[in-house]
Amino acid sequence: MSALTASAALTQRVEIDLFQGPFDLLLTLLLRDEVDLLELPLADLVEESVTPGQDERWDLDAASQLVLLLAAMADLKGRRMLGEDVEDEPDVDAIAMREALSARLVAYAPFQRAAAWLADRLRAAEGPRYRRVPPGTATPVPVTDDPARLRAAMHKMVEAPPVPSLDHMGVARRPLPELLGRLRESIARLREVSFDAMVRDCDRLEEALTLLAALELVRRGEADLRQDVPFGDILITATR
Amino acid sequence: MSELARAIEALLFISPEPLDQATLVEITIESPAEIGRAIDEIRARHGADTGLELAEVAGGWALRTRPDLAPVCDRLRARPREDRLSPAALETLAVVAYLEPVTRREIGRLRGVDVDSTVTSLLERGLIEEADRDQPNGPMRYQTTTHFLQRFGLARRGDLPTLERFELTGPEAKAILSRLQQAELIAEAETGDT
Repeated sequence: MSALTASAALTQRVEIDLFQGPFDLLLTLLLRDEVDLLELPLADLVEESVTPGQDERWDLDAASQLVLLLAAMADLKGRRMLGEDVEDEPDVDAIAMREALSARLVAYAPFQRAAAWLADRLRAAEGPRYRRVPPGTATPVPVTDDPARLRAAMHKMVEAPPVPSLDHMGVARRPLPELLGRLRESIARLREVSFDAMVRDCDRLEEALTLLAALELVRRGEADLRQDVPFGDILITATR
Repeated sequence: MSELARAIEALLFISPEPLDQATLVEITIESPAEIGRAIDEIRARHGADTGLELAEVAGGWALRTRPDLAPVCDRLRARPREDRLSPAALETLAVVAYLEPVTRREIGRLRGVDVDSTVTSLLERGLIEEADRDQPNGPMRYQTTTHFLQRFGLARRGDLPTLERFELTGPEAKAILSRLQQAELIAEAETGDT
């Protein structure tokens, strides 16, 4: 939307031998090649446009925009003087794009102004107040004339909630030390026990824990494990 | 005041919504012309030196407080903080108000940006609503609401200045094109190789 707002830099008036008028007009003439860039006394232009008048001050945005434009001109002029290949041919795509964008901005501008009108309207319409709550439609507070019912209803609010039951989670767990003791006892008595025999009536969790207990005995040097075939039975043998 | 004017004043006083002519005709069983005269009577009665004014808003009439009394009214009833409308929301609202019923895609094409979130927020604020579909399975079209008319103090839908009034003049349109050219030159200078 900055394209819509006039910039102070561009409306600045310049007076040099070649041209007297607003800066943006000079720029437009240059772009249309109606003023030859090579003939433009750039130093004069810089001096003319960057030197502020007696009692005016520049704002930073305007000044920097102007410096940028002057630098672009100097760059372009320098390249032309050196005979560098500067794109003289206007870019057809760029022109078409620019025109399409311009047409879109022109078509949209009325809505932007309408939005500004609406904003004014909104400010103007802020004063009056309307009736909001129609009388008689507010929901009446429910009252009961029976204190016992009221007490019963309110009692529910102070009752402690029941403790949640964990019965469904009742899986009897055999802790590892207990299994360890049982296994140690078995191999002390029999010297050698079969893993399959140890876990015959156990569930999967106990089976896993028994295997852990067996491994623990091996780690402590109390037992050896032997498995003749892969996935076969494991023999747990006492070492002493 | 005539009996009819007294009756209509009472109806306007108790109604939470603006009352339109059809409703008043139905309730009072009087002709629209009679009602119009009664409305004029009520309007004359509530002059600038009174606390209320008769306003034509959102397709009907409403008795509302005079704008200068807003501060004292708000001391009785805290005014809900009206959410501020962003420039994007206002512009989208303007597009809907002028082109309704209008689809999201049409709004987006005009605004040149994606308008989904803006349209959604206007829907949530009750300023626009779904109108209809151009054809079965076609995209939804949107229109402004009664709440929009009330909030912006508009008498009825389409109570807006003509869009032509806001159009750019020839020189203004030309100025846009030349500013675009300058903007390109600036962009070139900023990104140009040294």
